[in-house]
Amino acid sequence: MDQFIQYTVDGLTLGSVYALIALGYTLVYGVLKLLNFAHGDVFMVGTFVGYGVLQALGGPANPSVPIWIVISLVTISAMAVCAGLGVAIERFAYRPLRDAPRIAPLISALGVSFFLANSMQLLFGATPRNYDLFEYRTGYLYLHGLHISNVTVPLLRIITICAALVLMVVLWILVNRTRTGRAIRATSFDREAAAMMGIDIDRVIVFTFILGGALAGAAGVAFSLRVPTNVSIGFVTGLKGFVAAVIGGIGSIPGAMAGGLILGLLESYVQGYLPGGTQWSDLYVFSGLIVLMILRPQGLLGRADIRKV
Amino acid sequence: MKKAIGLALAILATSIVAASAQGAPSLAARAAAGYSCSKTITLPFVTPLTGGAGFLGAEQMSWAQYAVKSLAPGLGLKVKLVGGDTPVEQGPAPAQTLAQKYIGDPSVLAVLGPSTSGAVAASTKLYYAAKIAHLSPSATRTDLTKTVNGTLEGTPAFFRDVPGDYIQGPSDANFMIKNLHVKKVVIMDFQEPYSLGLASAVDGTLKKAGVSTIRLSAPNTTTDYSAYVTKVPSDADVVFFPTQKPGDAQTFAQQLIEQGKKAKVFGGDGSNDPSQFKQPGSYVSNFAPDITGIPADAKLIAGWKKDNPGKAVGSFGPPSYGAAQILMTAISKTCKANHGSATRAAVFHNIKKVRIDNWILGGTFRWSTKSNDPLNAKFYIFQIQSNGSYKLVG
Repeated sequence: MDQFIQYTVDGLTLGSVYALIALGYTLVYGVLKLLNFAHGDVFMVGTFVGYGVLQALGGPANPSVPIWIVISLVTISAMAVCAGLGVAIERFAYRPLRDAPRIAPLISALGVSFFLANSMQLLFGATPRNYDLFEYRTGYLYLHGLHISNVTVPLLRIITICAALVLMVVLWILVNRTRTGRAIRATSFDREAAAMMGIDIDRVIVFTFILGGALAGAAGVAFSLRVPTNVSIGFVTGLKGFVAAVIGGIGSIPGAMAGGLILGLLESYVQGYLPGGTQWSDLYVFSGLIVLMILRPQGLLGRADIRKV
Repeated sequence: MKKAIGLALAILATSIVAASAQGAPSLAARAAAGYSCSKTITLPFVTPLTGGAGFLGAEQMSWAQYAVKSLAPGLGLKVKLVGGDTPVEQGPAPAQTLAQKYIGDPSVLAVLGPSTSGAVAASTKLYYAAKIAHLSPSATRTDLTKTVNGTLEGTPAFFRDVPGDYIQGPSDANFMIKNLHVKKVVIMDFQEPYSLGLASAVDGTLKKAGVSTIRLSAPNTTTDYSAYVTKVPSDADVVFFPTQKPGDAQTFAQQLIEQGKKAKVFGGDGSNDPSQFKQPGSYVSNFAPDITGIPADAKLIAGWKKDNPGKAVGSFGPPSYGAAQILMTAISKTCKANHGSATRAAVFHNIKKVRIDNWILGGTFRWSTKSNDPLNAKFYIFQIQSNGSYKLVG
């Protein structure tokens, strides 16, 4: 039972990060029908911004302000920078291609991905960066937390999971309970019709990139609180986020949330319980994904694409 | 239309055949004729410059560059060091592409690297076919120079100036048995040649001594090891963690503590980096001692630090300086013997004749007569102290 709880906590922590990344993919896809493959690298930039702010605040061992303020400032800064980066990418790499064949923005997205990864390496080098929050009061955030049976859920994991859940709820409210959210949903449903109804499509798209970028920044910090980052981290983690979005049904916000958590839990349980699970977790997980796609091509919560014939 | 496509394909095929037929003898002839030693010689260094092990390449390049700057003029050579990037996450493909590129460049007489065992295994046959010697300062997998279970992955063109895992594996395992008195050890690998070879070498020695071992295998792209840590039994004494990404060893050690596990992390040479792997109480082995403790190296270290301000002396750099020194010495010998020109084959032939007194890692460098390994080299074991420094313990 203890092991099951531990694997569940592991999966939820990982899944929270995947869910935040998946939301960025799904928001942009919903509005633009574009697979924004640069999103993983925006996430990577977020991890580096967080690192820089953490160091500027005195580092993990001797922070100049209380640690909860440090973590909040690190997260807010990463979200702000990544939101700005999202807007810049949309303005310079995607908007000029909005009426081009669909393959063109896809290639542009891949180009932006490489541009970001290589630029970051040029600026900051290839050395991995570690937030090293273990140094804060000699492992305080790792050794204290919530006790469930014989398992301790450390503060750092609680912060990661809770922060992700709060952001998901805020996003859900924003999209479902505000005028801007209604505009996003309308644009996602039918861009031309939305424009005819007086919705400023450019503004909606920019706002979507702000949201996606901010979520990628938050995901970057949530990820790096526990794991070192480097300039190539965006590819694999971004890919997992994309897969989570597809599992949930790309374009569906609740789907992305569910997809991320399901993928994280699935990885954790596969590694924990299946024979050869640690070695072949990707094989198991992606085989399951193929089966899911065959049975439900639109993903768990995506809507089927009905075409008039 | 079909005729036009057929004609185009025929022209394309003919062009390729003609180009190959024309190009091959020309390249072979140029290589056989030799390269003038008065011209600039290109010395490629195949190493991870990006990705999770990018720190390794950066450190190695800086020392090789210093060797070129400080030694080449004295050897009568003009050498240009160029980096060839082989990110560990991309597997063997970049090493093969780079090998083909360097084989086609007549100014390349020998190659530094590849730095990782997987990249060596993927490219050494290409270098051997082109008679290009390549010398790695960090690829330690045993079967690159010795036959293991009937398999030899290396070729006679491959050399290394550091000892292989046939020394590292038993050294690490024997230290665990004799000094740490281990009863149960978890052994990780990362599904790539370096860690698989080293993990097996440690596993074999531990099992022979009656130590209980558990193998866990993680993809090389793993970032979060929580699920693996959960699988570590609470009574395990040590987790052997032969990663090439020292930050991952740090993460693993911290996650062990997070889950209340008492096992210590024991890293191989790939995790030897005091700036990234610094969890007190952990162990790490390496093929090089801390050269800051060698008085004869003081001037050399000062020179390198002047060129690399703010950088600390690590363990991967000095063997790279040594590797560049060996290759440039062999090229210089060849140039002198051949009256100002050198062929790849002659450089290849002269590598094993190189002997270096005042070797950067201490003592004298000589080759083993039985394999392309250094003679009498050994591995060193360090324990990480509470201030993060590495203390030599074995």
